[in-house]
Amino acid sequence: MLYLSAECLGFPLNFVLKSMEYSSEVRRRFSAPAMAGAIPPDAGRTVAAAAEDRSLRFWVRFEVELEQAEIGRVRFRAYGCPHGLAAADLVASELEGKPVDAMTTIDLEGFASRIALPREKHGKLLRIEDALLECHRQAAAGKDE
Amino acid sequence: MTEGLIYLDYAATSPVDPAVAEAMAACLTRDGVFANPASPHAAGAAAKAVVDAAREQIGALVGAAGERLVFTSGATEANNLALKGVLPAGHGPSHLVTTAIEHRSVLDAAGALEDVGIAVTRVGCDANGIVATDRIAAALKPQTRLVSVMLVNNEVGSIQDVEAVARVCHDAGVLLHVDAAQGAGKVPLDIEDWGIDLCSLTAHKLNGPKGVGALYVREGLALAALIHGGEAALGARAGTLPTHQIAGFGKAFEIAAARNETGGLTRLREQLWQGLARIEGVRRNGDPSRSAPHILSVSFPGVEGESLRFALADVAVSAGSACTSSHAAPSHVLRSLGLSDALAESTLRFGVGRFTTEAEIDRAVERVGAEVARLRAIAAGAPDWCST
Repeated sequence: MLYLSAECLGFPLNFVLKSMEYSSEVRRRFSAPAMAGAIPPDAGRTVAAAAEDRSLRFWVRFEVELEQAEIGRVRFRAYGCPHGLAAADLVASELEGKPVDAMTTIDLEGFASRIALPREKHGKLLRIEDALLECHRQAAAGKDE
Repeated sequence: MTEGLIYLDYAATSPVDPAVAEAMAACLTRDGVFANPASPHAAGAAAKAVVDAAREQIGALVGAAGERLVFTSGATEANNLALKGVLPAGHGPSHLVTTAIEHRSVLDAAGALEDVGIAVTRVGCDANGIVATDRIAAALKPQTRLVSVMLVNNEVGSIQDVEAVARVCHDAGVLLHVDAAQGAGKVPLDIEDWGIDLCSLTAHKLNGPKGVGALYVREGLALAALIHGGEAALGARAGTLPTHQIAGFGKAFEIAAARNETGGLTRLREQLWQGLARIEGVRRNGDPSRSAPHILSVSFPGVEGESLRFALADVAVSAGSACTSSHAAPSHVLRSLGLSDALAESTLRFGVGRFTTEAEIDRAVERVGAEVARLRAIAAGAPDWCST
């Protein structure tokens, strides 16, 4: 049969998934990363930058829309594990509406804590920081993508 | 089992067949055949009869005399017993030849032997996971005492020509051990006709219980025991025989022989591959013409492996192999086939089995296709190293 019945000593799939190694925040953001994608070409001034760490099998690219001194929309693309994708989605969502300089003051420990990021994966947050610092540098230099 | 889960991990393990469970249950309780098979009374004799019947059932499937089976806790112990039983420490210079794509229970046992001074040669394979017999022949030395080769690779399903390897070994006066855990009952195996000296078997890959396996030991061959404690089976392993496990083992092999599921499993595997092949850029690992019917290894370039496996939490599959899926390092087998780290990481091993349905295959294809497309979209624009 396609699906085995719940009454045969089974656990609901959602229960089993919760027992896996990812926090609810990671599961939610990985399953439906609202900030994944690209900013439409007709948007206002936009900067973009990527960073990677091959040893961690992680690549991330941010596009940041600038609205005067504030951040407009933020979108990301990423190749990596569920933690990496969730971290990119979380950081992107937190930056929208903030001052442009918020890209230089990413609270790495705070974000790591919010998604229960394993210590060995903290390097992925550093790459996220690298990409956003480059976006900020471009913003400060007045460079359009 | 978990509601909503599509189980396609039969190469890792399989559910116990109801008839097997029934045979086991008959050996557990007070009204059943629960006695110690070694006991010298009627109840013990009844248990021994169950064990003897199981020996016949197991031997019939794999072409071996049942009385030459040493029951173990599984194929891992059988593999350890074969290698360490033939090559005990402190017996002078010896040489073992095995392959680079063996199961960890062989490779790690070989490593342990290396630590005590036994030389080990690990022969590589081609891009399809086939180990050339000529390369094994070329690796033999005057000190070689044992060759250990698996019948079916547990990660990509490649079938090794162990019959030809047996001829090479016997011409050279070297013993041959075959790990048939993944292949018994799935591909041809005729232990005694082919001249195999030692052969590891397990029950749980064939809808039998976990926790029981066997090592076939050719007549006249003596092994050093790993477990001591009273009278030992063929001098190789002491301990009370678990009648219920052995009864289940035998029943599972009897059912496998009667059903001959190779054709049905091959059709399911090919249905799965035909569906997955529609996904752009996928790579099938191994040569389908020399592959076990129940295993399909597929790489999905451009998709990070951990994310793919998590996204497919409702489809039970393995990364490379079950025994390496919790390790960070890419599979040693896939690396031996020449896959890059990224490609090896993006590989899934599917295993079909007795209770797999065509509807499950269709649903799995749909789920894999959807998640690969979703993850590739999130990773759009990623550099080449993510997909090559």
